Order: sequence, then C-alpha cells, then structure tokens
Amino acid sequence: MVSPLYIIAVALVAAFLLGLLKEERRGLAYSVTLVTLALMSWISANWLWLFISTDAVPVEIYTAGTAPPFAINLRMGLVEAALTLLINLTGLISGLAMKDSLLRQGRRAMAVWLVAVMALSGIVLTRDMFNMFVFFELAVIATAGLVLISEHIRNDGLTLAAGFKYMITSQFISTFLLIGIIFAYHATGTLNIDGMANTSLVLLNGGSIAFFLMFIAIIAELKPFPANGWALDIYESADPAFSALFSAATGAAALYAADKLLLIGGAEWLPIATGIGIVTFVAANLLALPQTHDRRLLGYSSIAQTGLILVVLGQRDILGEHTLFIAGGLLLSHAVAKAGLFWLSGLVAGRELNAWAALRSHPLLVFAFVTFICMLTGLPPFPGFYAKWELIHLLAGEGRIALLGLILFSALIEAGYLFRWFGYVMKRESPAEPVDTAPHKTAAVLVAVIAAWGLSFLWGELAGALFGRGNILLALPLLFALSFLLLDPLPAWLKNTLAIAGMVAWFYLTYTEYDPLRMIFAAIFLIGGALTLLASYHAHGKRIGFYPSAMLMYAGLAMLIRATSTFDFFVAWELLTVGSYFLILRGKHSEPHALSYILFSLGGAFMILAGFALAAQGAPHFSLASLQELAQPLAPWVFLLLAIGFMTKTAAIGLHIWLPGAHAEAETDVSPMVSGILLKAGLYGLIMLLLTMGRQNFYGVDLVNAMLWIGAITALIGNLLAIFQEDAKRLLAYSSIGQMGYAMFGLALMNHLGWLMALMFVINHYVYKSMLFLAVGGVAKRTGTREMYRMGGLITLMPLSFIATLIGIIAVSGVPPLSGFGGRWIFYNAILTSEARLPMIILFLAGPIAFLYLFRLIYTIFLGQLKDEFRRVKEAPFWIILPQMIYVAILLVVAVVPGLVLRHVDAYLDQFFPNGGLSWDGMIITSDFGYWNPIAIMIIVGVIFMTLFSWLLFVNRRAQKVKQFNIVFSAERPFRPETTHFAWNFFAPYRKALGFLTLPLVTLFWSTMTDFLHTAGDLTRRFYTGNGQTYAYHLLGFVIIVYLFGMGIQP
Amino acid sequence: MEPIMIKNAIALLLLAAVGAIFVSLLAGYMPDEQLNLTARYYAERTAQDIGTANIVTAIVVTYRGLDTLGEVTVLFISAAIVGLVLAQGRLPTNVPGSPQQPRVPVGELLSTGSRLLTPLILLLGIYVFVNGHLTPGGGFQGGAIIASGMLLLLLADPLKHFSHRLIDVIESISGLLFVGIGVLGLLYAGGFLDNRLLPIGTLGELFSAGVIPLIYSLIGLKVGSEFSSMLASLSETEEA
Amino acid sequence: MMTSLAHWAMAAGFVLILIGFYGALTNRNLLRMIVAFCIADTGVNIVLVAVGHMRGRTAPILDSAVPVADAVSRIIDPVPQALVLTAIVIGLGVTAMMLAYALKLYEKKRTLDIAKFTELKW
Repeated sequence: MVSPLYIIAVALVAAFLLGLLKEERRGLAYSVTLVTLALMSWISANWLWLFISTDAVPVEIYTAGTAPPFAINLRMGLVEAALTLLINLTGLISGLAMKDSLLRQGRRAMAVWLVAVMALSGIVLTRDMFNMFVFFELAVIATAGLVLISEHIRNDGLTLAAGFKYMITSQFISTFLLIGIIFAYHATGTLNIDGMANTSLVLLNGGSIAFFLMFIAIIAELKPFPANGWALDIYESADPAFSALFSAATGAAALYAADKLLLIGGAEWLPIATGIGIVTFVAANLLALPQTHDRRLLGYSSIAQTGLILVVLGQRDILGEHTLFIAGGLLLSHAVAKAGLFWLSGLVAGRELNAWAALRSHPLLVFAFVTFICMLTGLPPFPGFYAKWELIHLLAGEGRIALLGLILFSALIEAGYLFRWFGYVMKRESPAEPVDTAPHKTAAVLVAVIAAWGLSFLWGELAGALFGRGNILLALPLLFALSFLLLDPLPAWLKNTLAIAGMVAWFYLTYTEYDPLRMIFAAIFLIGGALTLLASYHAHGKRIGFYPSAMLMYAGLAMLIRATSTFDFFVAWELLTVGSYFLILRGKHSEPHALSYILFSLGGAFMILAGFALAAQGAPHFSLASLQELAQPLAPWVFLLLAIGFMTKTAAIGLHIWLPGAHAEAETDVSPMVSGILLKAGLYGLIMLLLTMGRQNFYGVDLVNAMLWIGAITALIGNLLAIFQEDAKRLLAYSSIGQMGYAMFGLALMNHLGWLMALMFVINHYVYKSMLFLAVGGVAKRTGTREMYRMGGLITLMPLSFIATLIGIIAVSGVPPLSGFGGRWIFYNAILTSEARLPMIILFLAGPIAFLYLFRLIYTIFLGQLKDEFRRVKEAPFWIILPQMIYVAILLVVAVVPGLVLRHVDAYLDQFFPNGGLSWDGMIITSDFGYWNPIAIMIIVGVIFMTLFSWLLFVNRRAQKVKQFNIVFSAERPFRPETTHFAWNFFAPYRKALGFLTLPLVTLFWSTMTDFLHTAGDLTRRFYTGNGQTYAYHLLGFVIIVYLFGMGIQP
Repeated sequence: MEPIMIKNAIALLLLAAVGAIFVSLLAGYMPDEQLNLTARYYAERTAQDIGTANIVTAIVVTYRGLDTLGEVTVLFISAAIVGLVLAQGRLPTNVPGSPQQPRVPVGELLSTGSRLLTPLILLLGIYVFVNGHLTPGGGFQGGAIIASGMLLLLLADPLKHFSHRLIDVIESISGLLFVGIGVLGLLYAGGFLDNRLLPIGTLGELFSAGVIPLIYSLIGLKVGSEFSSMLASLSETEEA
Repeated sequence: MMTSLAHWAMAAGFVLILIGFYGALTNRNLLRMIVAFCIADTGVNIVLVAVGHMRGRTAPILDSAVPVADAVSRIIDPVPQALVLTAIVIGLGVTAMMLAYALKLYEKKRTLDIAKFTELKW
C-alpha cells in the first residue's frame, strides 16, 4: 500500500513544481494539477478498497521515525479512506469543471487549489490536534485565496466581500482554537488527539474550558446557525465548482474533525453537539424557504445537512456502532448531491431558481437534478433513506421523540423547497439563455449521478449485511421501473406495450401469494393499472419521463401489497409517492398542486415512519403482523400516527386540499391512475392498520370511532364541494374525496358488512372513477376546456363517451341496477347493524348530494345546446374510448353477478368478523335484513326503463324538432358571458343554503401555516445583515451561549 | 442612545463574557513543576535520537516536521495569492497617460549604505539558518532576515525590480527538495521527514543532526524568497 | 500563586486578545480591523509561550551550560516554543491575505468601510 503521506507529499510536490513552470504553459500546468488530483484519489481509493475487501484494521502512520505522542501521526482507516477519497475526487472533478477559470488564472491558482484539497485530506488524516490546526489554517487561507483569485473573473466585488468576512470569522476561530490547544496540552501533556481522549481532558483542571475552546472553534467551521452568515455569502458568490468543494469536501473534513473532538469531549458534550446540530438543521431549512437565489439556497441546504450529521454524531451514545452507517449515509448523500447540484448550477446561466427551467430541454440533466434532490430528501433507494430509517428508529427506541419530531419537521421543509424548485424546473418558462453543455462541465454532473446510484447500491448491500434487509435497488419491480430510464429514447407505443406486459407478467408471477383481500388490491394495482395504460396508446412521440414515473408508482404499489415488514412497506410507500408526484407534475398547470401533493404525502410518510419507529422500539426488524402485539400506552400513538399518515393519501377531510388540483390538472390518462388506483394505497394502509391493531383507546377517545366520524364528514363535505364545481375534472376529484370518506366509514364500522362494503367501494371506485376521468378527459381533449358550462349537446358527437359517463353515473350514484346499488345495499345493511346513528345520518345526507353533482355531468356536457365552436368535435380518440368500454362491460358483469368477486371476500372476512356475513344462495344474496337479487333488479329496472322510454317516444312522436338557432337573442352582450349560461353556478340555491359548509377553512389553515413558516424564515434571515463585523458579533454570541449551556451541564 | 454606542456596548458585553472565560482559564492555570510526558521525552531523547543542540529545532524540523511543512505551505500559497492578486490589480491602473508622480531621487548615503549592508544582512541570515540546530534561530528567522535585506534594497531604490522568475525558482526548488527529503525519509529512514537519512554526527557540530541543517537551510531560502516575493509584489503596486 | 511570571504574561496576553477583539468589533475601517487582529494574534502568541514557562529554568538548548544529562531538570517546556513559531508564521500568512483583500476591496469601492460591503445578505 502506498503510504497516505503521499497524498500530502504528492500535492505539495506538484504545487511547488507548478511554481517552476512558465506562466504561459498553462495547459501543462493544468494537466499536472489534474494528474496529481487523480493520483491522490487513486491512493485513497486503494486504501478504501483494502478496508472494504478485507477486514484490515486501521493503520497508524508515524512521521519522523518516532512514535506518537512525541511526533505527529496520521491514521488511515475505513472512514479516513472514504473521506479522503471523497475530498480528492471532489477536488479532481471540481478542478475539471473549473477548467476555464483555472486556465485563465494560471498556475498559482492551480497550486492553491491543490493545497486546499491536500489540507482537507490532512484534517481527516491527522491524529494531532495542533497539526489539525495547521491544516485548518491552510484550508482557510487556500479557501480565502481561491475566493480572492476568482474575483478577478466575476469582477463584481461580491466574492471579495464574502472572502473577507470569512477571514474575519476565521481569525476569531483560530484564536479560540490556539488557546484551547495550548491549555489542553498543558492539562494533558500531549497534543495527540487519542492521548487527550485517553487522559480524559475534560475531567482535568481547566480541561473542560480548554476543550470547549477547541470544540467551539471546530464547530464554528461547520457553519452552525447563527454564526454562518459568511459561509452563505461565499456559497452565493463563489465559483460553483469551488462551492462544490466547499460544501462537500470542507464540510466532510470539518465534520470528521468535530467527530475527533467529540472523542476527546466524551459523553457530556454529546448533547451540546446534538443541540447545535438540530438548531442549525431546523433554522437553516427554515431560512432556505424564502430564498430565490439558487446558490444561496444550496448554501442553506448544505448548512442544514451538516447540522443533521452533527446531530447524528451527537447521538452516538444511542446509535452506537450504527453511527458510522447513519452518518456516512447522510454525509455521502449530502456531499454527492450537493456537489452535483453546484456543478449543475455552473451549467445554468441565470441565478434565479426559475432560470433552472433551462434544464428542461436536456432530459439527462433533469434526471441528474431529480437524482440529487431525491438523494438530499432521503428517498429510497438512496443512502440517506437507509440512514434516516435507522436514525428515526433508534431515536424512537430511546424515546427521544422531540428530537425525532424536529428532524422530520425540518426534513419536510427541506423537501418543500427542493421539490418546489423541481416544479420550477419542469414548469416555469424556459429562459432565453440555454444551458452551457461544455463536455467537461456536464461530465462532472454525470459523475455525481453515477456516484449517487453507486452509493445507493452500496448502502443497500451494507444494510443487507448489517440489518439483513434486502437491497432496494435489487427489487425487481423497481429495477423494471428504472429500466425505463434507459428505454426512454424508444417510441411511446413500444414502451407502453412493455409496461403493460411487465405489469401483467408480474401479476401472473405473484398472484398465488395473495389472500383474497390482497388479491383485490393486486388486481386493481396491476391489472387495473395495465388497463388504464391502454389509454396511453393515444400519445405520440416518445413521451420522455412518463414511463419511468408511472412505472415507479406501479412498482411501489406492487411492492406495497407484498410487503410484510415495516421497512419494505415504507420503501414501497415512498416509491409510489415519488412516482405519482412525477406523474402529477406532468400536467400543464399542475405545478402548485403537485407540490402540495408531495408535501402532504411526505408529511404523511413521515408520520408513518414515526409510527413504525415507535412501534418497533429499536428492534431492527418489525413485521407488519407484529403491530397487533403492541400494548398501551404505545399502541394508540402508533395507531394515530399511522392512521393520519394513511389518511393523507385517502385525502380525509382536513388533509384533502392537495387532491382536487392534483387529480384535475393531471394528464388525461394520468388522472385515472392517480385517482382510481393510487388512492387505494391509502385504503390498503388503513385496512392493514385496522386488521392488525383494531380498536385503540386514546385518552378516552375510541380512535376507530373518530375515524368513523371523519369518514362521514369527509363524505358529506367532499360531495358538497363537488356540486359547486364548474370544472368537470375537479368535480370528479372532489367526488373522490367523498367516495374515500364512504370507504373509510365502512372500514371504521368494524363489522363484516362494513368491510365488505368498503371493499366493494374499492373495486367500484376504481372502475367508475377511471372510466369517468377518461370520458371527461376525452371530452376535455376534444373541446379544449374542462369548464362544463362551455360544453353542451355533445351526445350526438361523442356518443361513446356519453354512454360511458351515463353508465358511470348510474354506478356511482348507487341507484339500481348497477353495482353501485349493490354497494349501497350492503352499506345500508352494514349501518343497520352498527350503533353509530349520527354519522349514519350524515352519510345518508351525502347520498343525494352525490346524485346532484353526477347529474350535472350528463346534463351539462352531453345534453342541452351544442356550442357553435364545438360543431365539428369528433369522438374521443380510440385508445381513450377502449378502456372505457371495457369498464362498461365490467360494470355490467359485476352488476349481474356481484358474487364473482365478493363471495370470496365475504368468506375471507369471516375470519376477522365471524358474524353478520351475507349468505350467497345462487343469484340471491341474503342479509339479516333482507335479500338482493341482482338479476331480478336488472330485469325490473330494464322493463321499467323500456316502458317509460317507449311511452316517451310514443307521446313525443308528433313533436316538432327545432333547430338550435331558431330563436331570437336580445342584442345585449353580457359583461361575463358565462353567467348567462344555465349551467353556470347551477346549484346556486344550494350554495345559499349549505355554502357555509364549503368555506375553504382547511385551505386557509394550511396556507396560513405555510405563510407563517415562510414569514418566519424571511424575518429571521434579515439578521444576516451582510456586514462582516455583525457576523463577528454573531459568532461571539454563539460561542458564549454554547459556553453557558456547555458549562451548565458539566458535572 | 446612538447606534454606535449600542454597538460598542454589545461589543463590551460580549468581550466581558469572553474575558470571563479567559479569567477562569487563568485562575485554573498552574505552572508545571516538572516537564510533562512529551517535553520530558524531548529533553531526554533529542540529543541521542536527533542530535540537535537546540531542542526546539528538533521539534520544529523533525518531531513536528509536518506542521512546519504546512507552515511553509501557508507562506507559499499566501505569497502566490498575494502575488497573483496584486499582479491583477496592476493591469487596469497601468493605463497609458496616467499621471506619473515625480520621484524624489534616492540619496547617495542611502544607496551606498544599502549596498554595503545588504550582503552583510544576507550573510547573517544564512548564518542564522545554517546554525538553526545549534543556536537560537533557524530557517524562519534566517529567511526573515534575508527578506529584510531585500526590503532595505527596495527602500533605497523603490524602482528596483527583482526577478520574480528567480525568486519563484528558488522558492519552488527549495520546497521540492524539502518534500523530497521528507519522502526519502519515508523510503530510507524511519518515516516521513526523519532526519536520520544522514548520520547524526556529534552534538554541537555544524555538520550534525542528520538532514536538519539541510532542511532548515531550504526553509530559510524558501521563507526568504517568499517574503521577498511578497515585498516585491507590494512595492510594485505602489509605483503604479 | 498569582504572582508567577507566567500568570502575568498570560494575563497580558489575554488582555491583548480582548483589546484586539474590541478593536476588530468596533472599528469599521478594514485596515484598523487588520491591525486589531494583529494585536490579538500577538496576545495569543504570548499566551502560548507563557503556558510553557517554568520557574527557574532556562531555554531548551543543550550546550555547556545545560548538559544533556541535566536537561530534564534545567530546561523549560520546548513544545510551546515550537508551536508559537508555527502560529506566528501562519498569522503572518493570514495578515498578508487580509491586506491583499483590503487592497482589492479598496480598488473596487474606493472605501475601506466594512459596512459598505453588504450586497450579499439574508
């Protein structure tokens, strides 16, 4: 093995050699620089490979032929190898990305660059406190120097001021560090870090103050809130490739230095580190919210991530041997993603977040951006996900709930601004200036992307080795979804065929595993999903990005029903959430709605994560089935968290505001997927929860009863909101909220029939909502509008859509003879067996309301007067009609023989609710209260309909047909033409009566919440005045506050 | 109250707190009666292991040689950055037609005196770093003395131009040799910067202590050239 | 014990640091701030040396006055002396950098007032 000292020696030799070169030979100087950085990386990589492939112990490297503590020694272990590789590689790639400016600045700048990278490696390697100080100072001077030199290129003076602020801060820091070091030396008689740790510095006379001074100096290098104004200014103004190094490599080195310090400080200082970390994590994310400058935003995010990792280091007393896995996962996620984003920012011309919309014309760069933000947010399969999972579990196991809550809250804010940014990339107007696609700059970004996925695989393997979990990246459905990234250049019809084939094949492979309950969901998710995909054949071209997103969602759904452990369940949950988010975002005007969708979903996911973590109590493995073994006082909390989490997906009232926009603005074939299919994931979660945990008593409140009420109110309000919509797709979306309310209500009844009804709703809702969304989507496609009052009279032009809508409406509204009636019938039976009278009444009320809005669909769109501009409208495209016709067939079949499916489910439910099942006798279904004969009903209704229809034809046989324009208009032209349309504000009288129930109170609540956070962030950041002197005040204030806390808790 | 007074009051308050930290350090401080573990090792072993009479030199060049390499590098990059930045600054102000200030001619006394003194100063500097392992002083001190000779030359004749190229070459070569010797120690002696590449000789003689005199001389040259380069860069901005 | 030389030197060092800090916190002129930091640096160096001081001992140089055999009982701690050398040199590098900064900042805005360089904030 090459001695790690060569990392330092090689860099210095090269730096001094550059001094010998002539100023003109810049190309040669640049090659020397890159070769040196490559060599440094190679040395680190060699060591890393040694430690990974064998179980070699860390190596101590002596200098001067003398053993420590009498001479400086270095250590090379797994962590050191990984960190120096990270640092050197970042240096190499950033050097590549900075090619132009390094060539312009010449050999001296390159020498400084080499020294900067070397110094960071030195901080990681050294085991000597004073030597660490020297490397820190080298890093500071090199950093300030690079900022100073690069100013020459920007020439706006901004960078310069930032660098000077940094120098001011570092003067204070180095004073504290030196004083601390010398007193620590005095107390322990050694400068060696391990020596100080072994002699328990903090217990010695004057030792704890000495330690404090060293500790605070190193912590200040981590840019903690609030002593970090200078760092933000550097991030904002410096060359992005430099910021990549500053964020990824300097951050990593300083964190490792803090880790070494904590070794000396011992257990008493861990809470202080945690406190500083969590305050920084929360504050920096909050302050990032109002940012519009991309690099400053990344700066805030870097600081936040560093804070989080500091929390992990501070929690090592409970994380124990897993600290490395967790901190490493978070650190590498942060470093790779942040470096990647900074390199990416070098390609974008504008500095506003909006300007990143320029990326959109390069799918590969969009993919890179997605990779980075998902990695930062800690979504599967990235290392941060594994780390977050273990961290939250260990925290919950030890009862550190407040910390857990703060971490998740702050992570949600972070996800908020990152995904908002992604929305800008996909949806905002593309700026005039194109993306700079110089090969060396894009190469840097791509290397980060490759590293991101490589690390994901590695962390999956590690998780397998440490905790026996499967590698997420090896899950077949996920691999299938990801393979569409590579297939994206193929035409859409081919990918669609592959997707359908894949889903059907997966169902075929796995169908034997499902019990009847899961079979319902499997059929909806996979076969139902394949069916809705038929509609996607109508799309032309390549449809870049659609299939990876859709397949990601389906992969998540497929994995969800097969999950047996909480981990697998949560992975699947996150995958389907992200996939559906990308799908929803594809809609033309869906940017804000997709954002609120992902925020509610991630918030819900965090609730689920917290619930699972609380349930597991530190156990590395927790199966879903063991949820039923939970006891008081834990069980109700777990139930509550999980239930709220699942209810965000079913859009229960209060958590519903994301749904209408998200479903309505989605593309035509996406709406059925996210409505008909995706909503069922939430119901599946609730079913799983109720099956395992049953009734829970939370401070005297029966939680299932609460759910009953929520279900009833959701049904009522959802339906009420639906009747006042003018937009057909929004109407359907609100109707989904109501329908999910019904299903929740049924589940919460906790009896046999209630569940049967809920499951029937699951199936029915899939069929008719998919069908209606397709029908309305087809109409909207042809007419170019979704406003119902703009349509009318389309029955003759779009007869098939009309039929689908008619059948769908009959099914939804629950009138005979279609399957909706069966649902109602079971439902009424179910509530007759239940005690819940008042919610029952509410639910009864909701029924007719549903009819009111459904009726509008037929009446306003297909009947009435045809508009002049739609005279030439054609029937919806074949591929959109085809699935609708299949759904019509399904509805008719299910209406006639409901037993086809329900029988099995009914029998299966017997094991959970032995009493009150239905008896299936041929075609007749009997309950305790009566019987239902679908065929008889079908015949009766058919006869009545035919009789009335013939009678109508008969009495109207003499009616005279009047042409549409055979009337006289008055000459007035109204100010708002739509107000003259009969269908506009159709239910005005109801609005007068019940409108108070539809006040957007919930929306108001959530928007006030977000405004509040935004304003809090905006006000707090004023505190960074930009004055370097003020920052010095912040730093000293920070030092003193930490001192008071630190000394306060010392024994 | 005036904002400035508030600011000063806050500064005083903060510093009072920092002062309180210092006071508690001071109050807890007790001078050692005996050398601690590390210092005792140096006192006992330096003569036989390293062979320098000046123990501080043994620590600076050998035991903590990595620190010193870092220090030299600090100077190296500071000089490089200052040189680069000042060179950048010179370009825009050197526009033709900018008013040149008339210079006061340098007096005869000053120019002759500096010519007489500079060689002596250089000699002293060389003496100080060559004898760094025996007497107080060493590479940094010697280098600073050499640079002061350069300063004298500059004061005597502000228009004098040093060859940056020459300074750079001396600086780089001495730096390279320093690292090179360190690496040789890694290969042929006990470790990086081990001085026992050469025999340690007899305590107190000029040619003793292994490669320490060599390293300290290189440091002297390097530090001298770095300081000189900074001075030259600074003086060149002034004349612009 | 408060009367020992080391205590006085150390106290002086701390006072210099505080004076330097005060200067850096209250002077808005860049050059004055740099000078203030130099004062604080000096204070740090004095504290470093003071910590290594031992009563009644001599410099750690072996010669006829301090034979090798007696070194342990005759010399003061040499480590802080070596450290202070490093600290001084690093301080010098930092000061040079700050001066270069001041020069460039002045070139940009023709002012040395730190409060004028606040374009980057929030």
